[in-house]
Amino acid sequence: MTDPVAAVEIEGVTKRFGEVVAVDNIDLAIGDGEFFALLGPSGCGKTTTLRMIAGLDLPTEGSLRIFGEEVGMAPPDRRPVNTVFQAYALFPHMTVRQNIEFGLRMRGIKNPELRQRVAEATGMVRLAGMEERRPDQLSGGQQQRVALARALVNQPKVLLLDEPLGALDLKLRQEMQQELKALQREVGITFVFVTHDQEEALAMSERIGVMSEGRLLQVGTPREIYDRPASRFVADFIGRTNILEASVESASTVRLDNGALIEAETSTPEGSRVAVSLRPERVRLQPRGTTAAEGSSLDGEVRDITYLGHAVVYEVAAGPVSIEVRVEGEVGEPFAAGDEVTVAWDRGAAAVVAD
Amino acid sequence: MSGVVEVGLGRRTRRGLAVWAWVVFAFLYVPIAVLVFFSFNASARVNIWGGFSLGWYGEALRNDVITSAIRVSLIVALISTVVSMVLGTAVALALDRYRFRGRRALDGTVYLPIVIPDITMAVMLLVFFAEAFKLIDSFGPRLTLGISTVALSHIAFNISFVCVVVRARLDQFDRTLEEAARDLYATGWQTFRRITLPLIMPGVAAGGLLALTLSLDDVVISAFVTGPGSTTLPVYVFSSIRRGVTPELNAISTLMLTASIALVLGSLALQRRRASASQQTQIL
Repeated sequence: MTDPVAAVEIEGVTKRFGEVVAVDNIDLAIGDGEFFALLGPSGCGKTTTLRMIAGLDLPTEGSLRIFGEEVGMAPPDRRPVNTVFQAYALFPHMTVRQNIEFGLRMRGIKNPELRQRVAEATGMVRLAGMEERRPDQLSGGQQQRVALARALVNQPKVLLLDEPLGALDLKLRQEMQQELKALQREVGITFVFVTHDQEEALAMSERIGVMSEGRLLQVGTPREIYDRPASRFVADFIGRTNILEASVESASTVRLDNGALIEAETSTPEGSRVAVSLRPERVRLQPRGTTAAEGSSLDGEVRDITYLGHAVVYEVAAGPVSIEVRVEGEVGEPFAAGDEVTVAWDRGAAAVVAD
Repeated sequence: MSGVVEVGLGRRTRRGLAVWAWVVFAFLYVPIAVLVFFSFNASARVNIWGGFSLGWYGEALRNDVITSAIRVSLIVALISTVVSMVLGTAVALALDRYRFRGRRALDGTVYLPIVIPDITMAVMLLVFFAEAFKLIDSFGPRLTLGISTVALSHIAFNISFVCVVVRARLDQFDRTLEEAARDLYATGWQTFRRITLPLIMPGVAAGGLLALTLSLDDVVISAFVTGPGSTTLPVYVFSSIRRGVTPELNAISTLMLTASIALVLGSLALQRRRASASQQTQIL
């Protein structure tokens, strides 16, 4: 980061639970006011990373700073961060109001400031009028809002969210995605959220950190992560993709294992083994013989057609490899199984990823 | 229940079972009814009805030995309940949360007082007190069996019962609630005081109620470790029965019965209130 002071700065942090390395030497800087997602499959260390920022787990090695202040070993009550827990962790024996007040009371904040800040927070998450209810009298979405208000009322410098939408059904989840984004813009603080849902990460965050097996594989904007994955894992984990084995021929060409030479920018040295990631929606299907002026293409035969309503997915066999082609917004199906076709794509659609 | 579909039972079988149920019922409750009935007997002869009278209740409550025994029982029950609630909850928390040297051994042995026969426990405690007194007396004081040894013994078995009940409650406890409290600036103690304790309180209270009942009820262990002037009510009843049943004993027993029924009804009412509260929340 070029920012003078990052909101969260993680340097060489490792977390071991006995023999198991949950987080393996990661470096990460999250900017002030950023909406940042930690994305990865379960067990990749993303939640442990979040818990270390919150102070619920302590790093085995490394340094962790929040706005320049070293907090790696500080207990959670000494950090300017608050957490929205996965299943909300609302206190069942307290009302909504008592839940929201809890953090303020623990810090000795008294009326009238207490009352005013609670009112602000309940208003912000549209919970006014529900203050005297208990958590089990609320719907999942409302519980989520209480958890948000309970954290935000403390005016943390960083809000941590652990799979905040995981417990909601699809429709509510999409609604809450928009609401969370709006809320983050409103309060203007850094949001760090953990999710295993790549669509959620792409839709919500300004930057994404992809994790796997305790390591941070790539950090970038959703577009960078999707279009220029840094590794085979990232390419495969984010969205659907075709992975073609290849070796580097020159700085602008790679040779696929089936012999075809295609255009693709790469900084990997000549002769290295690489993989080429081709997004199904970035490739076209053409009748055999109509080669495009620029870009690359592969000849093949349509094997299978899957109708998805808003899109049609063709499975094309090109020699030993199978390529998925996704066509959207086309009327009818111009190709049938068994047709000889050419799969073509523009220069730049193919991304070379290291192994 | 009338709504249940009965399968494969003939009418005669059903009638037979109903009769049998009444026999069992009578077996359980007729002795109690007899006891209560004769406690109101005006006659001094236990098994001959001489008209209704509350005289034996008055007689019992005027008897200094009996009122003293009642007092001892209540003091012992109260002290042992409070102490075992605190210690039993502490043990349950330690076993649930911490990994320490000897944890597994403690985990296995903490329940022993529940399964050990009362008589073994009684002999064991008596021997323990005798040895301990010998040791302490060598430094000067002359300790004897009395109300404190009875209370200590009751604490010794009550801890186990409280511990079992509280651990069952802790099993369902969601630890992220404590993390949430820590995240919201609560210190370790505040977290325990505001979150953990209120949420396991039903278990602690249930354990305490159990301890209270067991303490008020105990004969064998108390009889062994009691000393002069510190006889508990059950021990008094047991020792006087050897001199024959008197209507006075009937009256005392009825009083004890009433007290324990009141305790059970109280705890049931408590549970029902909690249950209906949570039912209400489900409807909403």
